[in-house]
Amino acid sequence: MDKNFKETSKSGGIIWLFQRLSAVVLFVLLMAHYVTYHFIGHGVVKYVDIIEKMKAPWFNLIQFLFLLTALYHGINGIWMVAEDYMKKKGTRIFVFSVLVMLGVILMFVGMLTIFKAGAKL
Amino acid sequence: MSKEKRVIKILRYDPANDKKPHWVDYTGEYDSDSTILDVLNEIHWKIDGSLAYRRSCRSAICGSCAMKVNGQNILACETPIHKFKGKIKIEPLPGFSIIKDLVVDMDLFFEKLKKVKPYLIVDKPLPDKEFTQSPEEFEHIRESVTCILCGACTSSCPSLWGNEDYLGPAALLRAYRFIFDTRDDGANDRMDIVNDKNGIWRCHTIFNCMEACPKDIKITEYLSRLKVKIVENSI
Repeated sequence: MDKNFKETSKSGGIIWLFQRLSAVVLFVLLMAHYVTYHFIGHGVVKYVDIIEKMKAPWFNLIQFLFLLTALYHGINGIWMVAEDYMKKKGTRIFVFSVLVMLGVILMFVGMLTIFKAGAKL
Repeated sequence: MSKEKRVIKILRYDPANDKKPHWVDYTGEYDSDSTILDVLNEIHWKIDGSLAYRRSCRSAICGSCAMKVNGQNILACETPIHKFKGKIKIEPLPGFSIIKDLVVDMDLFFEKLKKVKPYLIVDKPLPDKEFTQSPEEFEHIRESVTCILCGACTSSCPSLWGNEDYLGPAALLRAYRFIFDTRDDGANDRMDIVNDKNGIWRCHTIFNCMEACPKDIKITEYLSRLKVKIVENSI
């Protein structure tokens, strides 16, 4: 069918669906993050308390999933909006590559923090 | 009825003489219940006959007189001037190119509307009498059929300002209206058309269209239902 559009792709639906699903997961993990970081403890939360918690694999697993979902949701959101303004294929590939690289770098730095911090003690 | 002095600022543009649009002030005494269209008529008939604007039914049903007043997209014929305090700034609908003064080029708007096949497609044998729907079935499309195609929603959409190829809320709402019509058989065809980078997925649920709609149609909500149906259909 001739749509007479400059770009044709069916990928929009999957991106939209994953953005909604990641938003729901993100909400649950955000609550878990707040509760485990800020509300479980005795009085003022100190640096050592957090580092102590980071030794536990379940705690790190929640933080890892939180990091993964937040990065996916954020970068996918920027990409969805950026698509409004980009028509040239070259520009789209460049911006997409920058966003993926940014995601990988932030993921790496985040993982270092999560898995190395607890091991220091 | 009390008359009050009001300053009306109109964004004027005549492509034959002006390099770019510019504001022109008109001061007059108007009844507080006068509509924006009454004021424009007054200016056009008594002060400056060169002022160009669209008008037709005066009953908020033809959709001709949509324009931007004090930052809001409205229908001039149904909006009283007492709704606005201070100066009244009247501009053409944003997002469309200006033909002259308040008259904008709606060609692309109607071309996009045609793309979604805005008519009933029936493959099954026609009934002897009229097509019937239950009240529950009609409820799905009850609001969306009241769209008058004034363009206020499409013109208020930031996604459209950034990408003129985007179908826009009015065309997508019309697609919704037929896709969710139980009498229609063209749903798959239409969903294939709107399931596109420049179709439904450029809608980022900004809600501007809903705020702009003079018929108070919950456009964003219906477009979200359409997204869900398309995803369900493609899984």
